[in-house]
Amino acid sequence: MEYGPPPLFNQGVSARARLIFFSFLAVLLIVIDARVNALETIRVGVGVMLYPLQRVLLWPRDALVQAGRYVTTVGSLMRENERLREVSTERAASLLQDEQLRTENARLRQLQGLREHVAAKTQVVQVLYEPRDRFTHKLVVDRGSSDGVRAGNPVIDEQGVVGQVTRVFPLVAEVTVLTEKDQAIPVQVLRNGLRSVAFGGSEPGTLELRFLAANADVSSGDAVVTSGLDGLYPPGLPVGTVARVERDVKDQFARVVLNPAGGVDANSVLVVLQVQAPPLPAPPREDARGEHPGRRSARR
Amino acid sequence: MRFWPLRRANGDSAGAEATTTTTAAASSRGQPHKQVLRPASPVFIWGSLVAGLALDLLPWGRTPLVPDFLALVLVFWNIHQPRRVGMAAAFMFGLLMDVHGGALFGEHALAYTLLSYGAITLHRRILWFAVPSQSLYVLPLLLVAQLASAAVRLWVGGASPYWWAGLSESVVGALLWPVVTWILLVPQRRPLSRDQTRPI
Repeated sequence: MEYGPPPLFNQGVSARARLIFFSFLAVLLIVIDARVNALETIRVGVGVMLYPLQRVLLWPRDALVQAGRYVTTVGSLMRENERLREVSTERAASLLQDEQLRTENARLRQLQGLREHVAAKTQVVQVLYEPRDRFTHKLVVDRGSSDGVRAGNPVIDEQGVVGQVTRVFPLVAEVTVLTEKDQAIPVQVLRNGLRSVAFGGSEPGTLELRFLAANADVSSGDAVVTSGLDGLYPPGLPVGTVARVERDVKDQFARVVLNPAGGVDANSVLVVLQVQAPPLPAPPREDARGEHPGRRSARR
Repeated sequence: MRFWPLRRANGDSAGAEATTTTTAAASSRGQPHKQVLRPASPVFIWGSLVAGLALDLLPWGRTPLVPDFLALVLVFWNIHQPRRVGMAAAFMFGLLMDVHGGALFGEHALAYTLLSYGAITLHRRILWFAVPSQSLYVLPLLLVAQLASAAVRLWVGGASPYWWAGLSESVVGALLWPVVTWILLVPQRRPLSRDQTRPI
């Protein structure tokens, strides 16, 4: 017969052993999640479980917003109506021309034998909340894979590109905004067609064009649009305007800072473009080993 | 039964009842005539943890200085009821927070595990202090948790250069500690029968 400690003093596994076990488990999960996309099913499962609670907790805010709207005065509504009418009148001319230009473009493309631009299906989404994450800037929107939203879809508002869907759940999706570090988008300068890639800037709320030669023809005020080279972002969507260009003699590259065109912070209604991503060629092996293959492919 | 003049509490505790007695004794240094706390009900413990989670799930967005309520409630129960709420609970709540925040899977889990370990290791010492001074112990615990998740982000390479601005949340959390303590001890402060507080 064995003599263990009486149950009064038996405290189970020691705290330090538990610490080691759970820390190890957490680090393991972090490594797996960062390097391989193997945990998405678990994440989706937990996300679906958490969804009802999340939705319930959005009610207080939504109720406040509703109440605020209810007491909006007639005056402010009339002002807003007036402004919208002005905007729509301003845009009417270009919209009418747009129709004509589109048919002309289609005809020219046909003549040249070029591939047609496929108009992407659009999905209007509402921003549910911004995660309380100090490290990254994301938005959670109210449509997910059950509505046809896919990881990689571009997200725009009425002024330009806002970001890209980076993770989908059945009923919600996470959008990473353009100004996020390491979020890349292929762009060109509208004035001269100079191509580059815009990344999230080192200052918060800005973008940067990286790898542009120090003597590149960019100046502040230039409009920058998507180039459409990646096959994901349709070409010609406004991305931002050049805020300033710093050309340092020591440096090989110019430092170009952009202000984003899309309302990265302000919007509650966004549009997801459900672009069918063309099949990408397999990345070369050397690159795949050096970078995080899972994360990169989701963001491309 | 209710108004024992408390003598020195035995620092070590084995059972839940004994722990609550210790709690009352230790947190009442300088206030000799304080009531003995009733045992904490498991329903209230887990209910308050879920309430902390719910407060974190509110759409705070990027509002500055909003503390991590769940972390505070976890620390509270780790200190007051270390045998009921341990690292496993902290780990599971951390995973929920990871999914909600779109963070790396395991980031908050690691942070809360460390937080919980710190709180459980220090709980006997912390309870000897008056509630406002306990904040000084809670602050480094919360900071360690935040720094752990910052370290994970810097390691994986997804952190913005302004991450340290968020550390002020821990300070707010520590300042809220007396309030949290007061609220979460309310059910244990109830008298055994209602008649005892009824004015005659």
